[in-house]
Amino acid sequence: MTAPAAPVTRPLAAPSDSPPPVRRRRKPSLHRTLSRVLIALIVIMQVYPLAWLFITSLRTEHDFATGDPFALPKAITFDNYARAFETGNLGMNILNSFIVTMGANLLIVVLGMMAAYALQVLGFRFSRFVRSLFLIGIIVPVQIALVPLFIDYASINLLDTYPSMIIPLAGFALPMSIYLFCSFFEYIPRETYEAASLDGAGPYRIFGLITLPLSVNTVVTVVLVNSIFIWNDFIFANTFVLSEGLKTIPLGLQNYIGAMGKTDWTATFAAVCVTITPLLLVFLVLNKAMIQGLESGASKG
Amino acid sequence: MLPNRSRLSVLVFLLPPLLLYGVAVLFPIMQSLFLSFFSWNGISDMEFVGLANYVRMLTADDIFWRSFFNALGYLAICLVLQLGGALLVASLLTSMRRGRELIKTLYLLPAVISTVAIAFLFVRIYSIEPVGLLNQLLHWIGLGALERPWLSDINTVLAAVSAPEGWRFTGLYMLIIYAALLSVPKELEEAARLDGASRWQLFTKIRFPHIMPVWITTTIMATTYGLRGFDIPYLMTNGGPGQSSELLTTYMYKTAFTSTDFGYASTIAVFIVVECLVAVGLILFMLKRKADA
Repeated sequence: MTAPAAPVTRPLAAPSDSPPPVRRRRKPSLHRTLSRVLIALIVIMQVYPLAWLFITSLRTEHDFATGDPFALPKAITFDNYARAFETGNLGMNILNSFIVTMGANLLIVVLGMMAAYALQVLGFRFSRFVRSLFLIGIIVPVQIALVPLFIDYASINLLDTYPSMIIPLAGFALPMSIYLFCSFFEYIPRETYEAASLDGAGPYRIFGLITLPLSVNTVVTVVLVNSIFIWNDFIFANTFVLSEGLKTIPLGLQNYIGAMGKTDWTATFAAVCVTITPLLLVFLVLNKAMIQGLESGASKG
Repeated sequence: MLPNRSRLSVLVFLLPPLLLYGVAVLFPIMQSLFLSFFSWNGISDMEFVGLANYVRMLTADDIFWRSFFNALGYLAICLVLQLGGALLVASLLTSMRRGRELIKTLYLLPAVISTVAIAFLFVRIYSIEPVGLLNQLLHWIGLGALERPWLSDINTVLAAVSAPEGWRFTGLYMLIIYAALLSVPKELEEAARLDGASRWQLFTKIRFPHIMPVWITTTIMATTYGLRGFDIPYLMTNGGPGQSSELLTTYMYKTAFTSTDFGYASTIAVFIVVECLVAVGLILFMLKRKADA
């Protein structure tokens, strides 16, 4: 059974992208040059702070405290990185972030797919109501859940655990993932299901044999987009986690500030560089999939 | 609908997600609503106070109103930077032939970085001792008079904590708008161009109306995200100096976890939810009126 995974392969470099070159070339391209310059400026503004972050992490402390912030470092040093690893628990922070991200993603993907299957494929009488219920989670800010969850966690001893972070992170990300899966399931032709039904497959087998295998691309999208937010989550971790051993990256980074009364900025920047590397690598390697995911998520709406 | 589905199978697929969603989102919303009618510090007995928290919030709490207007300012700056910047870059990008993918990636880069890292970064960018990027830049272009400690000056601190949030997510919205702009039918643009439409007319009469649905989605996204902004102001200034960069979210957080006034914090949380719903309603309402007119 071959069903087209059509919506996922979007023609990004569509042939219509390039306007007739002849007509363009005759015009004085002042507009073109201007827009190039403008776009270059904006991109520099966007990226320069990050480049500066990296360069600063290689500076000596003295150079940082006295020198011109735009200048290249006089000497490159990796001491900052050594101090960064001494001061904090970077390895453990990264591991914790990894566990939380994986746990939340697992819930988001599995439960999101199940809900979308029930809403979009199975269908039932109150599906419109359930959809609007999930819409609330997209609009409502996460801060509403902080106090109640804090109280509930305290009463069932769930404070300061991995699930205390995973549950709200997954819960608030669930509606968006359901929405993405729903809009993908729309593209699976009805005939596919009907044929399978005639062959005697029930809803569970259809889910396992048709819907699940076809959704791989959407799963990648959902995981990538959510990972950015979960990996970097600060508010839930900051509210529910107290012990050092469970601190995720954002909390671990906070330890660098003013721990000794005076902040070691170059070491802090080195730590920042270390902690953004994993996600940055994933992003750069998979950026095409991620960009397509982000684009398709909204343009289908 | 599948022909041979059973009621049971719907429940099997629907209940687990609803359970998680109920525990993490729906139930806490109800609980906040409930708590907002009580006075409770988490230790002593809860005391029912009726609407007293709401009366206090709306009539007797200056900090609340200060935070509310700050939050609106924060939202305005974020919207201009995110949506304005996104639309500008997306439009420019469509006229480029090479390097689009690279620019998209670079532009999106800040969205990958954690708010804590961004807060550190901008604290240094704004700093005056040792001189940070911004002050140095102003010095070079001859605007040395404007040099200041951006985060401790009460006139600039709100803008200073809003800008990083705008900077962070503009790439995300740019991608969405860019994808929409690509979907504008090329024949339509060509036809208009042949009729002598200027670039500006092309944009206002053809492109923008065409991407309107996506523009609405992004506006709603940016608005709800802007209203829930918390991390960067909390980390950079913690609402200070004084209350000059306090947002409703940071005020609520401090009321809950510094003053442990759970009841009153829930009242503020309920207000934030209402504010978000009203904002989304307003956007849809204005659009509908515009469409009818």
